[in-house]
Amino acid sequence: MRTRTLGWVALVAVVAATLNSLVGVPADLNQGDAQRVMYIHVPSAWLAYLSFGVTALAGIGWLWKRDLRFDWLAVASAEIGVMFTAFTLLAGAMWGRPVWGVFYQWDDPRILSTTILLTLYSGYLLLRRMTDDPIRRANRAAVVGFIAALDIPIVHFSVEWWRSIHQVATFGSPARILHPAAPGAFVIALLSMLGAFTIAWIYLMIRRYQLAALEARIDEAARRGTLAAARAAAEAGVPEVVPRAGEAIR
Amino acid sequence: MNPLPFVVGAYAVILGGMAGYAVLLWRRMAAARRALRDADSTRDPE
Repeated sequence: MRTRTLGWVALVAVVAATLNSLVGVPADLNQGDAQRVMYIHVPSAWLAYLSFGVTALAGIGWLWKRDLRFDWLAVASAEIGVMFTAFTLLAGAMWGRPVWGVFYQWDDPRILSTTILLTLYSGYLLLRRMTDDPIRRANRAAVVGFIAALDIPIVHFSVEWWRSIHQVATFGSPARILHPAAPGAFVIALLSMLGAFTIAWIYLMIRRYQLAALEARIDEAARRGTLAAARAAAEAGVPEVVPRAGEAIR
Repeated sequence: MNPLPFVVGAYAVILGGMAGYAVLLWRRMAAARRALRDADSTRDPE
């Protein structure tokens, strides 16, 4: 399937699933319309986990195979993961205010560990900008990406490990998947949003990976250009200009 | 408390954010392709 076609499929799927979750499914008996936020909160959290898992595995792939395509995959999934983690926290706040009475609760382990996850991977993206050397950048990013991923199980199991105002996972065990504690229409709405968001995630991942590949080619062209200019200057007898440490070579 | 503004706000920001990110990627790719073309056209044949 062409990437552009996948983009249109993702758009149609997200629009259809959104319409179903906003007007097709009845409001919850206890939470009312506020419960509809769950249909975007849960998929966002799932994609945040998935993205950072891919970042960690891609980092390991780079350290093992020394193929920079793994690093392109790692940066693509980290950037998209940061976006979905921010969406998770935002949707949680929009649900929490009408249901819990607060936007944010500092002493809730799930919310705090998710905030830490967002901070860790924002730092990961900043770290990547600290050097122009693709090898050094990939090495550092692989280590940090793997260490940061250790927070993913802490986020997921925080509601089981510590006392929390968060409810436990809806699909946390096989028994719950087969016999969910929610009516079928609610489960179908949630699963259709999970599917639609995952298709959109695949599309965004492909596009971001393609962008990373293009940026690598630009860096390579810039290095070749700098080398050619230095060679021409040396032949003409012009003193070579050596870039200072940390200065971008463009 | 009426939850609808919170529901509509959450959907608007998240769906708008995803669409905005897709457009941003498309624009960054177009800019990158332009930069590559410029680099190729000014490249030393050696």
